[in-house]
Parts: sequence; structure tokens; C-alpha cells
Amino acid sequence: MMKKPRVCVLRTDGTNCDRETARAFDLAGGAPQMVHVNQLRTGEEKLAAYQIMVIPGGFSYGDDVHSGKVLAVELTSFLKEQLQEFVTAGKPLLGICNGFQVLVRTGLLPGGRTDEISAALMANDSGRFECRWIELLVENNHCLFTRGLAGRVLSFQAAHGEGKFFAREDTLAAIEQAGQVVFRYAGAGGGPAGNYPDNPNGSLHAIAGICNPGGTVLGLMPHPERFVERTQHPNWRRGETGEPHGLAIFRNAVHYAREI
Amino acid sequence: MGITTVRVTNRPGLRDPAGEDVLYEIRHALGIAPVEHVRTARVYRFEGISEKDARLLAEKLLAEDVFEVYTINKPVITDAASVVEVAYRPGVMNPEAASLSKSARDLGVTGLAAAASSREYAFYGGGVTAADIETILDRLLVNPTVETVMRAEPDTLLISGRPGETKIIPIRQMDDAALMDLSRDKLFLNLEEMRLIRDYFISRRRDATDCEIETLAQTWSEHCGHKTFKAELVVNGRKKEPLLKRLQQATARAGHPLVLSAFVDNSGVMEFYHGWAVCGKVETHNSPSAIEPYGGAMTGSGGVFRDIMGTGQGAKVIASTDMFCFAPPDIKPEAIPPGCLHPHYLLRRVVAGVRDYGNRMGIPTNNGSVHFHRDFRAKPTVIVGAYGLLPVSRAQKGRAQPGDLVVVIGGRTGRDGIHGATFSSGEMTHRTTEVNASAVQIGHPIEEKRTLDALLAAAEEGLIRAVTDCGAGGFASAVGEMGAETGVEVRLEQAPLKYQGLSPWEIWLSESQERMVLAVAPENLDRVLAICRGLNVEATVLGAFAAHRRLLVTWHGTVVCDLEMEFLHHGLPRRRMEACWQPPEEAAAPLTTLPANWTEAYGRVMAHLNVCSKEPIVRMYDHGVQGTNGLPPFSGLHGDGPNDAVLLTPLPGRPEAVVISHGLNPVLNRSDPYYGGLWAAAEAVSNAVAAGANPEEMVLIDNFIWPFPDPESLGALDRAVDACVDFVDTTGMPFISGKDSLSSTYRGADGTVIKIPPVLCVSAFGRVPDINRTVSADFKGAGNKITLVGKRTVSEMGGSVYCDLYGQPGGSPPRIDLSVLTGVLTAVHRAIAAGKVLACHDISEGGLAAALAEMCFGGGLGAAISIPAAENPVHFLFNETAGCFLVETAPDTDPAALFAGVPHQMLGTTVAGDRISAAGLFSVSLTALKRAWQEPMARIFGSMRAGNEGRGE
Ligand SMILES: [Mg+2]
Repeated sequence: MMKKPRVCVLRTDGTNCDRETARAFDLAGGAPQMVHVNQLRTGEEKLAAYQIMVIPGGFSYGDDVHSGKVLAVELTSFLKEQLQEFVTAGKPLLGICNGFQVLVRTGLLPGGRTDEISAALMANDSGRFECRWIELLVENNHCLFTRGLAGRVLSFQAAHGEGKFFAREDTLAAIEQAGQVVFRYAGAGGGPAGNYPDNPNGSLHAIAGICNPGGTVLGLMPHPERFVERTQHPNWRRGETGEPHGLAIFRNAVHYAREI
Repeated sequence: MGITTVRVTNRPGLRDPAGEDVLYEIRHALGIAPVEHVRTARVYRFEGISEKDARLLAEKLLAEDVFEVYTINKPVITDAASVVEVAYRPGVMNPEAASLSKSARDLGVTGLAAAASSREYAFYGGGVTAADIETILDRLLVNPTVETVMRAEPDTLLISGRPGETKIIPIRQMDDAALMDLSRDKLFLNLEEMRLIRDYFISRRRDATDCEIETLAQTWSEHCGHKTFKAELVVNGRKKEPLLKRLQQATARAGHPLVLSAFVDNSGVMEFYHGWAVCGKVETHNSPSAIEPYGGAMTGSGGVFRDIMGTGQGAKVIASTDMFCFAPPDIKPEAIPPGCLHPHYLLRRVVAGVRDYGNRMGIPTNNGSVHFHRDFRAKPTVIVGAYGLLPVSRAQKGRAQPGDLVVVIGGRTGRDGIHGATFSSGEMTHRTTEVNASAVQIGHPIEEKRTLDALLAAAEEGLIRAVTDCGAGGFASAVGEMGAETGVEVRLEQAPLKYQGLSPWEIWLSESQERMVLAVAPENLDRVLAICRGLNVEATVLGAFAAHRRLLVTWHGTVVCDLEMEFLHHGLPRRRMEACWQPPEEAAAPLTTLPANWTEAYGRVMAHLNVCSKEPIVRMYDHGVQGTNGLPPFSGLHGDGPNDAVLLTPLPGRPEAVVISHGLNPVLNRSDPYYGGLWAAAEAVSNAVAAGANPEEMVLIDNFIWPFPDPESLGALDRAVDACVDFVDTTGMPFISGKDSLSSTYRGADGTVIKIPPVLCVSAFGRVPDINRTVSADFKGAGNKITLVGKRTVSEMGGSVYCDLYGQPGGSPPRIDLSVLTGVLTAVHRAIAAGKVLACHDISEGGLAAALAEMCFGGGLGAAISIPAAENPVHFLFNETAGCFLVETAPDTDPAALFAGVPHQMLGTTVAGDRISAAGLFSVSLTALKRAWQEPMARIFGSMRAGNEGRGE
């Protein structure tokens, strides 16, 4: 049997999608382990011992100040080198929902470095937390998490209050140019959605998820870990949706990690 | 060093959704036209750090240059007509303060003595008057119970104070008048109870401490003691067993094999599968929510989650539910009694509180309802439920052993919720908001989440002997109850405090949230402390359980409370209460006339507040977290068709499901407490059965929210309990947990008395062996058969939405026939389990017509039905008998065979297209019905605003 890549599922106060995220990696053939940020700070755990890292959804530190901000500050204050090493080594790093917010607020997305914050996840245009299933169009790019998925439309649940992807025009142009947009909210025809509720938060360019220039760090607002079993889809009784849409993302990470 | 203030706002030109939300409210709820635009800013204050450090915090933490700008010690919004800052009152703990301190530490900033955050609102518009601003602050932005308008920079953010002394109450000398003076507004005990306390201290030959009096008052409060439910009743001169005893005896008679724990623990427990159990608890939080809806709803959720956490030796919370009753949100402000808040504000803020607590803790909220009636204008009914998962081996209530340590974990203790237990037992008056301000606090869900994580980790290692939550009555209640059989000694000075200045009795009685009390064997202490430390949870040893059966509390060595457990827990004599009951008068028979315009009538029913879609509320709750949801609140072609119950698969990768549902109908509770009670129970279980649950594997939870028990109200309550008992006896489904709140009465200064409608909410939960054998309510295809299953007497239109809308008499309320109900439930369950049912929806408010329309909305399909010639079409369509179902089956399935032996009736078929038609009567547009059905809540919650539509950007 092939060795299962070790997955660091990062937790802290207010993390709440950790178990289902671990479960998704488990189904995909990884060996997930819960790691509290305190364990990394004390040195009891080291990121270097893991092949994959994920920052799950939730409300880290209550999303005080900005969503994910307090954890981002903690990570860049104490674990900057470990994180940077992990990314430089090309190991898969995934941030889902709150994890995406954390990655953007550390600077690891979109730039791939912890020194500059160049994008933001702002409050939804609706002004409120909303939970609904949305469609995501997978862009054709080089992100390791979406290999083989380009052009597909995936159904995931979005559940957040601060998910509006925002960046200045030049930054937007740059990440578009570099093929760093991985997911866009899709409208009825499968094309990018400008309007609520298909675009649930008012994200610019309908951006739902982006990767770093190397395609090894992915962040997205919707929750792929909430669709790794058939009955998790709200309309599973209305017919086949095929393989649960979230699985491929986790499996891609596991396969990639096995290769490196 | 003084205070440095950082103000942050979005860059000019960027949207400010918080401001837009306020503007929407100003326009739609307040009708103030001159305000054209609202912007917001966040304000942070730091005490004890340099301006340079404040600038570092601004750049690294508070303001993101990509979309925000900041200022230090000066305004950040300078071009508005008016700028107002709203902050929490000193002493109301803002959870964000702790995060500010943490991040400051992480960033290497030292010397920070205190931090605070608040919000500024900037109003734009030429004609905005000072009076407009006052109205906006008053009605929308400032709840004076917890918030205040900052009119000057504060001198300090620190809360100082020296602990008060323990006072001796000279109770032995008190006459009746003095006893009642002591009780009023504070203890809420009656004269007989006050005399008993006096006599106890006379026999002890000493006076009482304030701590002792307060401990007795909260243990003996209606909220904790359930005096009415335990009282011996005399109804119309005839003696009856206590209400609680009757419910418990019915449960015992049912002898349900799956029940593991009923009425003894913090929640009721039933067996699940594979060595697991599920537990459920439903609570009311009316009084705090009436005066501070956001904080009240938050602490209500937090409290019921802790009840689950404190079940057995600790349970994981897997679901949350919410049921609310309000006055109509468009009620005139003049109609709201003094001391009460407007329902538009209450509804939005209560929803926000439930949302923020459940979402942040990561607990899916996926079953609930909202009911409206004018008579809730004096006090809303706010019901929150929670469900949990725990191993059968840890499902029994734990017992502390002498020598075990009393360990408190979680939040610190502050002057929060003092008198919450006694306050909940009192009636709402025009003085309530002034006198009881300290009874409300802002919840801290992250504190509770990490406490839950620590608790579960300790439970999994078998380190917990017993656990309970600090709810009403705080330490006094939690520790007093855990030590009731053994005795306990507490060193109160050990308790970690939020700030100094609390008297010993305040620490002892404080209802600060997010605290759990554990009984831990000494050899396990180090491990428990290590687990807590690893998860940033504070854990402290407060004392130890003893063998002397006394409650002994000391403060730095001085005894502040020394009561015998026997007197504390058993000294309160059983009350004897008089009730009188007169059967409701026979209401005039319903009219038989038909509406002139069917489209209009159908649309009005769909738009009725008690029928309309509650989707905008549901969407604000995270129902997918934990990844367990197998039947969401809404599903169907466009995700907007409502389902009756929720199904969760809590064991990863397994098909076994927990079903959760509920039923309540305040209109019927008031017009006929017996049949209203049956309706609630029948609706609760029908909702579960409609999804595929087995009625034989389901248990119930009761919540009685009743007016103050005068003889009349008590007579009605007695009938509602009769209904519950009859329901258990005929269906075999037992109640295993319950709660009563008997303070739904308002007394104004001018003598006005408003009895809030009584509410019996019945919640149901159960187990389902296979999620694949369950159904949703949305129609699945055209050409399928639609069958009505269940027994109705359609002329029983009493309490119906249709009669309410048209101001018509309704006759008798639906009298659910218990003799056929079980058979109907079983037949529907069997049909679904056999895979023969494509969709199923039960009938409730709005009747068959509403159920049919909702199934059509979900399926994106129409329906063609025929109404039997012998039936009055209005009654047929709009009768609201619970326990009846609409069932969709494939063309080749024979409903007559499927439902042989129970009442059923072929209604028609599903059709492609946009119309519901009844042969020879009408054909109405589904698009129009759906618009009518979705519009009311969308308007209140501003969902229309959510997109870019009509924004001219
Ligand atoms: Mg229903």
C-alpha cells in the first residue's frame, strides 16, 4: 500500500469545520491530523512533518476585527518561516472559507509571500452571513487542486458573511493574467455570475477562489468538504449528481503530495 | 499613558454593507426619508500604549490598506451631517476586546492595559434633523440596556472597584411587610416562602447572609424550582396530580425501549445506533430577549448548547433549533406597551443573536419557525433547542463523589445576569427594562466553542465524573445541584473574575455565560488542566465535594453561606394551587361562502405571516457545518421549497440519521388548550414522519410558555398537559425532557394587563436507520399522483389563517382524532420506508392549499386537483388539521393499496407548468403565489437589497 500523505488540519479558537475537512482528506486517501496552533508555537508539532496543510472554515478568534485576521497575525508573528518553507517546498496548502480569509490576510494569497497583503475578503454586499448552495466554474489553470476539473461546474455550499473578493484593478489584472483565478461563481448558463444570489457576496470578477502563482496554495470561500458524500447535496433525492463534487479537490492534493 | 483611539472605515467609493443595512432600516422600519446615505466606521481604543504602537496596530491589525483608511485620535469620517458613536456600556464585556489584546501581544506591543471597540454611524442628507437622529438611535442602534452613545472620550477603559462586603440580613426580626419588601423586584418569592426562610434562620439562631438569601431565592425560583409544575392542583374543586408528575408517569407508562434518560439530566437521551445516543433539550429565553434581543437570544442559544454539553459525562452538540413568536412587524409603535420593544427590531435582533451564536460555534441551525400574533407585543416568545451525540456508555447523569474536585472551565465571572433566574420567573412590567438591566449580557460563542472542545477531549479520556453548566443561578445552582447528595465546600475567592469589585454573593450568583462545572477525581486533575491549557481554556479548582450534606461557601476564609442541602433542595413545601377551567364556548359555525377571487384569496393565505416563507431567516443560519445535513430546511429545483424536518447523519460515512422537528400553534393554544396541545404534538411528529421517520422510534420535548398561573391560566395549562398525556398514551411517544416558563403576563403602570398567548411547543426527535429511505417535500415529476392521507373534519376552521384573514368565525378548532392518528403516521412511514413515496409534506398553517403550493414551488411543477363535490372548497383547502399528509407517488403506484386501512383520498396529479388548478373552481399562477409567499420576510430582512438590483451603481 502506498504511504498516505500526512495532512495538518490547523485548528485554533473558533475553528469549526475541522472534523469534516479531516474526513474529506481521509476519504481522499490522506492521513489527516488535527494540529492546534499552540502545538506549532510550542514546537510540539512542526509543519515540516506534514505533506499537506489545510486551514479549515470557522470563525477563528470570533472573526474579530476582520475575518481570519487575528489568526493571520498570529501565524505571521510566530510561524512565518515554517509557513514560507512549506510553500517554497511546493507542498499543497489549502484554505477553505475562514482559511481562505486567513491566507489572504497573511499575504500567502495571492502573492505567495507573507510580506504584503494585496487582496481582501470584505463583508458580503448583502451585509449578512448567508448559507446557500452555489455553482462554481473551474477555470483552466495550473492549480494542483483542480487538475482535470477545468471547465466543470461544481456545486458547493457557501456559508459566510465576509466573502467578497476585492483587490485593486491592477492586482486583479495581474492575478487574471497569471491564471491565478481558480473558481468563479457561475450563473444559470455556467458563465461567471455578476448578480446575487448566484454571486452570493458581490465578489469582483465573480472570484470565489484563487491560487498563488505556483498553483500550490489554494483558497476558496465555498465548502468542498461539505460535498464529499452523496446525501450532502440538498437535492440528492432529485437525481444523480455523479461523484460528490468536493472529493476530486482533496484527492488531487493527496496525489500531488505523494509525487513530491 | 492615556487612551489612543484608532478609527477605521472603508475607502471612499467602496460599498459599506453595514451602513446600507442601517439605511434600509431607517427607510423601511422608521420611514425617515431625509437620510440619503449611511456610512460606518469601527472605533478601537487602547489604554496604556504609545501612539507609535497604536499606529503599528492600525497598520498590522485594524485597517487593511487594500480597502480601508484609518486615523489616530481624530475623526475618520468628516463629511457627514452627523456622526454618532455607539458603544457597549462599561461592564458589558465585548468579546472583541480579548482578541485585540491577544493580537497586540502577538505583534509585540507591551503595556496594553485595556482595549475596547465600538462603531460609528455617519448620516448623510440635507434635511436630517436632530430629532431624526434621536429616533434612529432610540429605535434602531442603541439598546440602552447594554449600549450607550459615546458623547465624550472616556477617561479610562478599566473597570475598577473594591469587592463589597457580605451583608447580614436581619431576617429574624422581619415582619411580613419587611419580608415582602426584601422579596420584591429581586427575590420574587411569596410570603409563605419568605416566612419559611425566616423560620429556618430563627431555628439556626442566627441571621442570614445576603449570599444565603440569594441562594435560596434562586433555588426556589419558579425558573429553577418549577413550583407550579410540581404543585398539587385543585381544578374546579377536584384534586389532580401535579402536572410534572402526570407527564413523567405517562413517560413511565409508555416504557419506551430507546429512552436512556428522561427528566433527570440537563437533556433527555435516547439510544441511537452502534453504541451512540442522541440527546435533546429545548429552552425558552423570553425575558432577556424581550429587553435585549441580541444578547438574550445569544445567551439563550449558548445556554441550551451547554445543557447538551452537560449531559451524561459530556455530549457533542450536533444541531440547533429556533422557534419564535412575535407581534406582526408592521404593528404601529403606539400599540407597543411601555417598557417593551417593537417586534420589527426584536425579530431582526433575535435572529441575529441565534445566527451569531450557532454559526460561530459551528452548530448547524436547521429547524425552526416564526409565528406572529398581535398579543405578543408585550413580550416575545423565544425558544431555542439543541441536540447532541454521546456514547451510550457516558449517557447517564454523573454523580460527584466526596473528595472530587469542583472545577470550573470556560469564561470568567462578571456582574452578568445577576438575578436572571429570579427575573425569568417574574412578570414583565413597565419597570422591567430599568430594574433588570444587569440580567442581560452579550454571549461569547468562541469561548463556548473552545470550552466544548476541551470538555469533549476530557470526556473522551474518561476524566469527567459529572458535569453541569452554569446557567440560571450560576455557581449557586450548578454547584448546589451537583453537591445536593454529598455536600460541597467552595472557596469563592478562587473564581477567576472579569474585573474586580464583585461582592461574594454576586460571584456566587453571577450568570456569566460559557462556564461549565466539572466533578473531577483528584488523580485526573492534572490531565484536565493540561487539556484545557492546550485549547486556551481557563480551568480552576473552586473547591471539593464533601460528605456533610452542607453547602459551605467561604470567601478568603470567612463563611458566606452555610446551608443544609436538605433545606435548600427539599425545604420548599409543595404548593397547592387552585385552577378553574371552563370549556371554550362553542364558536359560531364557519361561513360557507366562497371567495369572489380565488387567486387573491390563495395569495393572501400564502402571504400570511404564519404561512409565508421564512427563507431569508434560514439562509442566515449555517445549516451545513459539520457536514451532516441530509435533508436541509429548503431544497428543490430552486432551493426554495420548504421541508418539514431536518435529517442529520452524525456518524461519518454511516446512513443512520437523527430526525428533528417541532410543532406549535399559539392561536389554538389560546382558543382551546386541549386541542391546541394535541395539534402541537401531532404537528411535531407529523413533520418528522413526513420526512420518513418512524413514529415508534421518536421521543418528545415539551415547552410550556404560559401566562402567570392565576386559576384561569392554570386551568388552561392543566388541559394542555392533559393533551400531552393523552398523546403519549395513545401514540406511545414519550416526553423525555421539558421546561416551563410561566411569566407571559405584562402589567403596565396604568393597570393594563396583557396575557401573552400561551404557547405549547412540542419538539420531536428520533432515529432513522437509513437516510436513503427518507423523502423531501418538493414534487419530483409531472404526471405523478397526489394523495391526501389522514382524517379531517374540514368544517373545523377555528384558528385558521383563512378565517383570521377574512375576520370570519371558524367554528371549532381542528379536533385531532387520536384514535386514527397513530395508524396514519405508521402508514405514511411504511410507505416512505418502502420507497413508494416521491415527496411528502404535512398539513399545517394555511391548510392543504399551502402544503400543495409549497410542494409545487419546490418541484417547479404545477398540480391539477379536484375537490369532492360534497365538500365546501374553502374548508377543504384551508382547514388546518395537523396529522394529515400530501403524498406524491409514481403513476404505477396504487395509493389505495398503499394506504389501505387509514383515511386517504386521491386529490389529483402533478402537472408541468405554472398553475395549480381545482377542477371547475380556479386556476392560479404559481409564480404569483410564490411571489406573495416570499415577499413578507424578504421585505423585513431587506433581502431585496441583497443584490445589485436597482442600486444604480
Ligand atoms: Mg410541516
